[in-house]
Amino acid sequence: MVAIAQRDPVVTLYRTLLVYGLFGLIILTAGLVEFLHFEPFGVTTGAHAHIAGVYLYDPATKETTGPDRSTFTRSELFAAVVNWSDVPDNITVQAIWYDAFGNIVGQAGPAKPGDLKDHRVVPAEKPTGLKYHLPGQYIFAVERLQGDQPVEVLARRLVEVERT
Amino acid sequence: MNVIVRRSANPRPRGRPSRYLLAAIIAGVVVVVMVANSVLDYAFLDTIPGRTSLYGLMAVALVALATFVGVRAFDRDPAQRSRHLIRAGVLLGFAALLWLLVSDAFLFASAAGPVVAAVCAAACIPTTAFGLFVVRRIDRNEKEPWRLVLVSAAWGAIVATSLVIWGESFWEAIAVRTLVPGPGLDATRAFSAGLLEELGKGTAVLLLFLVMRNEFDDVVDGIVYGAAVGLGFNFMETLTYMTNVYAIFSPEGAGAASAGFQWYGRQVLGLFMGHATYTAFVGAGIGIARQLPSRRQKVIAIVTGFVVAIAAHFSWDAWLTFFPIETSVLGLIEVHLRTIVMTGPFTAGVVALLALGLRNESVALTEQLRREAEAGGGAVLPEELEILTKPWRRFRERLRALDRRGVGGYVRLARLQAAQLDLAMERWHRERQEIDEPLEAEDELRGRIRTLRQQAAF
Repeated sequence: MVAIAQRDPVVTLYRTLLVYGLFGLIILTAGLVEFLHFEPFGVTTGAHAHIAGVYLYDPATKETTGPDRSTFTRSELFAAVVNWSDVPDNITVQAIWYDAFGNIVGQAGPAKPGDLKDHRVVPAEKPTGLKYHLPGQYIFAVERLQGDQPVEVLARRLVEVERT
Repeated sequence: MNVIVRRSANPRPRGRPSRYLLAAIIAGVVVVVMVANSVLDYAFLDTIPGRTSLYGLMAVALVALATFVGVRAFDRDPAQRSRHLIRAGVLLGFAALLWLLVSDAFLFASAAGPVVAAVCAAACIPTTAFGLFVVRRIDRNEKEPWRLVLVSAAWGAIVATSLVIWGESFWEAIAVRTLVPGPGLDATRAFSAGLLEELGKGTAVLLLFLVMRNEFDDVVDGIVYGAAVGLGFNFMETLTYMTNVYAIFSPEGAGAASAGFQWYGRQVLGLFMGHATYTAFVGAGIGIARQLPSRRQKVIAIVTGFVVAIAAHFSWDAWLTFFPIETSVLGLIEVHLRTIVMTGPFTAGVVALLALGLRNESVALTEQLRREAEAGGGAVLPEELEILTKPWRRFRERLRALDRRGVGGYVRLARLQAAQLDLAMERWHRERQEIDEPLEAEDELRGRIRTLRQQAAF
């Protein structure tokens, strides 16, 4: 008579879990690759931009008013002012507003800094169809582009749009 | 008369096993991290979440105390058990109330208001309760005690969410100041959510595994506890998102619709295909580790469970934008398809592990019940084998008892069947050498079964 050793069914579960774990590692590796693609190391130029400030904005005159502020109400219109003359002219740049949900709500560029001298004022727009700004933290960034892709932040301002 | 202190897998150990020390260390680390995070948040971020963190510490401390008292209830004699459980319940109730008040007062009350928060909570309670009911029912052979299922959900709702608020606030504060806005930043946010939220939720399952080994038998139990923690977390997250979007969109006249959409997405569509699935993987890993022989394999299984949970969570948060939803009627179909395509495979993975685990459990219990009947001790009778090995037959017998002897008869028979299955489970663990010490409690359990049989008059 030949004895047949039975496999412990828990081992089958263990191995199944290990296969899932392998898929999990593939997913996390893909995420890491994605991160490194959009956030490449070693591409900084040392260039800096200067954001003069973030101010109340009048869309009729397209001018800013008042002091530099870091908080606004939902109904207030605001815009950032960038000194493009500080930025080297041999790079491609853009100035861009992101709202608290990561949506792009205002943009100047991409272009050479010299071509953006008439776009010193970059307003944050309200989302289409809404009467007010969405609340939360807004990011205003002056970015250097490589091809179509932003690879370096030359200047950054964080602005809080209050809930009430 | 025999008094049964232990009615499940393990006997009472004469000395505290080393896993209790590990549990105490993990719990201590969790508390220290929470205190440090909240103080640092308050000191450096000085935002509304920072204040919530600090004031919420009282609620977290109450939950920790309630858990400690609740666990003591399982280690004391039955006379003291109900007193400990009542104390734990009162503390948990205070903690939940305080946390809701703190969250509401500091995060949303000024915008959404306490009435909206109460309505949102009332909308989420039935769906979450349904989820917990289903999750507990899937363990068809030996259902976990409601006490532990509810403690798991409470930890997911209160402790894990607290850990996440603080950890993610720090991560966010650093990321938005250093990274290029766009997909790279989004990916780090997804890593943050996957890593911190699954660690926060999974810690609760790990502590249950270490402290409540008697009620943590295998992969099925792990999935039940993990999913319960996930459902608790999902409850609090839904409440937060509903009140948040209500506050944001009510000035636009779309507050209720936005909150309703969040409720449907998280409490109906994503009730099981979301946090419940992710943390079920953590529980599955721990449950499989429970039955593995070597420490190395145990560690690998637990780590693998966490890796799968983090990856599943990450993939949803990071790649959600690859499935944009149109604002037309087609969007309604797309919302469902997106959840099914992105989370469905992971949920199917959990269901596969669950099915395998249930099959293993059923085979093992059938064999152990058969051996117990053959031994002739009277705890399991040969004619009961067909009934005890089939959940539906057990239920039919209980219905017969209900018909003949009323509710009392139903309850007494249910207790008898549960004790018989506990005995089979205990035999299974002993045979697999998955116990701390030899089982004296097994004979006590047989005595208890004989007493229950007399009470049930079978």
